[in-house]
Amino acid sequence: MMPEKENILSKRLNKVLETRFENDQDTLDALKELSTFYGENTIQARRNLRSQIEKRSLEINQNFLASFREVKDVFDNVYQDVVEMSQSIEEMTTKLKNAKAQTKQLLERTRQLQEESVKNDMKQTVSKAFLEKFQLTPEEVVILHGSKHKRDVTISEEIFVVLEKVQKIHADCKILLQAEHQKLALDIMDQMTLHQEGALERLYRWSQNYCRNVDNPEFTELVTRAMGCLQTRPVLFKNVLNEYCSSRRGVLAGEFIDALTRGGPSGNPAPIEMRAHDPQIYITDILVWLNKAIPIEKRNLDLLVKTCNKEELKEILDEALANICEGICQPLQIRIDKILNISIDASILYAVTNLIRYYKKSIGKITQGGLLNTVLEEMQTKSEQIFLLALQNQVNNALVRVEAPPRDLSPTSSIHHLISLLRDMLSTASMSEGREIDMIKIAQCVVDPLLRAVNEQASRLPPTDMAVYTLNCMYSLYTCLSLYEFMDEKIERLQAQSDAQVDTLTSEQASNLVANMNLGPIYTILQDHSHGPLSSIPGMEPSNLRNFLGKLDSVISAPDTVLLPQINLLASSTHKKVIQKRAFEVLLAIYKQLYEGVHNPVNMYENPNSILNRTPEDLSKMLMS
Amino acid sequence: MSTGQYNYSYIFKYIIIGDMGVGKSCLLHQFTEKKFMADCPHTIGVEFGTRIIEVAGQKIKLQIWDTAGQERFRAVTRSYYRGAAGALMVYDITRRSTYNHLSSWLTDTRTLTNPSTVIFLIGNKCDLEAQRDVTYEEAKQFADENGLMFVEASAKTGQNVEEAFLETARKIYQSIQDGRLDLNAAESGVQHKPSQPGRNTLNNDQQQNRYNKDNCAC
Repeated sequence: MMPEKENILSKRLNKVLETRFENDQDTLDALKELSTFYGENTIQARRNLRSQIEKRSLEINQNFLASFREVKDVFDNVYQDVVEMSQSIEEMTTKLKNAKAQTKQLLERTRQLQEESVKNDMKQTVSKAFLEKFQLTPEEVVILHGSKHKRDVTISEEIFVVLEKVQKIHADCKILLQAEHQKLALDIMDQMTLHQEGALERLYRWSQNYCRNVDNPEFTELVTRAMGCLQTRPVLFKNVLNEYCSSRRGVLAGEFIDALTRGGPSGNPAPIEMRAHDPQIYITDILVWLNKAIPIEKRNLDLLVKTCNKEELKEILDEALANICEGICQPLQIRIDKILNISIDASILYAVTNLIRYYKKSIGKITQGGLLNTVLEEMQTKSEQIFLLALQNQVNNALVRVEAPPRDLSPTSSIHHLISLLRDMLSTASMSEGREIDMIKIAQCVVDPLLRAVNEQASRLPPTDMAVYTLNCMYSLYTCLSLYEFMDEKIERLQAQSDAQVDTLTSEQASNLVANMNLGPIYTILQDHSHGPLSSIPGMEPSNLRNFLGKLDSVISAPDTVLLPQINLLASSTHKKVIQKRAFEVLLAIYKQLYEGVHNPVNMYENPNSILNRTPEDLSKMLMS
Repeated sequence: MSTGQYNYSYIFKYIIIGDMGVGKSCLLHQFTEKKFMADCPHTIGVEFGTRIIEVAGQKIKLQIWDTAGQERFRAVTRSYYRGAAGALMVYDITRRSTYNHLSSWLTDTRTLTNPSTVIFLIGNKCDLEAQRDVTYEEAKQFADENGLMFVEASAKTGQNVEEAFLETARKIYQSIQDGRLDLNAAESGVQHKPSQPGRNTLNNDQQQNRYNKDNCAC
């Protein structure tokens, strides 16, 4: 044991010895501090050192404790505060959590609402657009139907714009229908239809009222447009037209009567009836008036419907114009009737007939198929009939007494008069329309009774006179008819009748000639070949033949002297010449036979050339020159 | 002027004769108009009618003179015999007197017409069988004896009217074909195809005259 103790001690000692104080700051510090404890180096002091150090260490520890107590208190306080804070925060967190939960809902709702709001805005825009497009504004409704308070007041231009809109909406609904909005589309269509009907009804009433009071038809744009709209409703359209027509009918009839009886303002022009004593002028004035007035009515009517579709209207307008003209029919008919019923000259009646025809045609171009046309047609027919009757009467009156033909066998004065009447009538008729029928009828009216009268007159004359007289009348009639067309039938008859008379006269003339020249017996002998040589036959001796030749010479020198006296009374030199020529041809034929007989040796004439020195050719030249 | 009017080859002239009231005018009317004229007035002198018919493919114009039966017009009607190619001699089967006068009518016709004139005897009013006064056989015998053609006809019903006019035309046409009828003779009653569709022969005559004159002047 000893070593170990010694070791520890040695080790400690070594350690202290080995320690190097200069390098150990702590030790230095500690030594320095220790130095302060000693004021005086006494034993007391040294003995106390330890207690002092301990005392001091206790004091320090006590200070330390006190200081820590303070710190601990402060810490306790801080702790307390922190706990409180923590609690508050805990609370706040909870509160916040709650608040947060609540806010989220709110936000959600807000978002929804916002979305809805956007949608609604959109819907509103669409609806507005839709309404604008498919509905009428209240103002428009008023324009269309009129205000409730003042019904039936005048309409304005705007109604047509609105009406167009209504129609457009109606049309657009069809697109809507295709776009699967059928119910809506149909409803709107119904609504628009109602609007349209209402508006048309209103236009109808307005137009009707307007047309009822048109004395002086100067149409406004309004009424023509209204008519354009109403055209889609034929019944309403026609009613308005009817209203217009009956109004105009009255006005026109009134104007007509005024023109007839009162004349223009302050008597200028003079009333038409002032000149009623001259049928031609009277009828002309009346018809001219109509011919002027009716086109004006037609023009006005056309103006009234100028915005309408004309193609469908032709018939309706014709009917309307006819309707307007109806009023003048009765006064017109009465007046024409009056003229036709007073007995006037056929030629005047004919002129009247032609006037009626002309104006009937002219008026017929303006108005068709109405009472006026019928009346004019009737008047024309009546006038034609009365004219022909008057002509017949005139002819019959002229022929009522059978006149004896004058000594010169020219047509009697009544025949002459009738032929000149015929000429006048035909020359007028040849310039009229439908002249062919007229001329034929006139000729029929005059020629047939005239020929009968000629026959009657002629039947009382001896045959030659009869033929000459007939021929003269035929010729006179022929010269009249041949100037005109369409007389072929009559002329053919005259020709045939003349031919028959010419034949008769030729035969009379030839027999007369033969008798005058004593050729009769010679002709008979020549026909009979059974007697042997001619020279031996009594009556055929050269002396007798020379006697004949003498007569022949006198005929040659003066061919006209041998004509029957009546032949010279022929009016036509052609007839005269033909008859003369044909009679001479008979003479020539006999002469030729005689000449051949005399020159035929069989007949034993001595020196035949001295008996008949003229060849038939020579004689022919002489007689036919 | 329509050319159709002149679209024919011949003109035949007819005359209708016979006593007053036998129905001459009615026969003509029936033939030209195909109608019966109920109240026919007495003919004054002569009346005239035409119609174009066809015989053997030839168009023929008939110019027909309807004469007055009254004695007082005898002188007037005589003029129209001369140029007749056909004569229709009419009596009334209900009035014997009209039949009895036939021989005098026939004599007139024979004297006044040319030998080639075709005479056709017509017993008219054959619709009035109940009032018949002349038998068919008797008239037929008369016709045969005188070389006349004969039918009984009715202007009222139109029976045989057409036939009488057409048969006469056929006979005339036959005569032309046979050469028995001289077309150039003035009184043959037949004209061949009008050379000029002129309005009338008066003009033609004038032209012809002028032509002759010119010739002579040369």
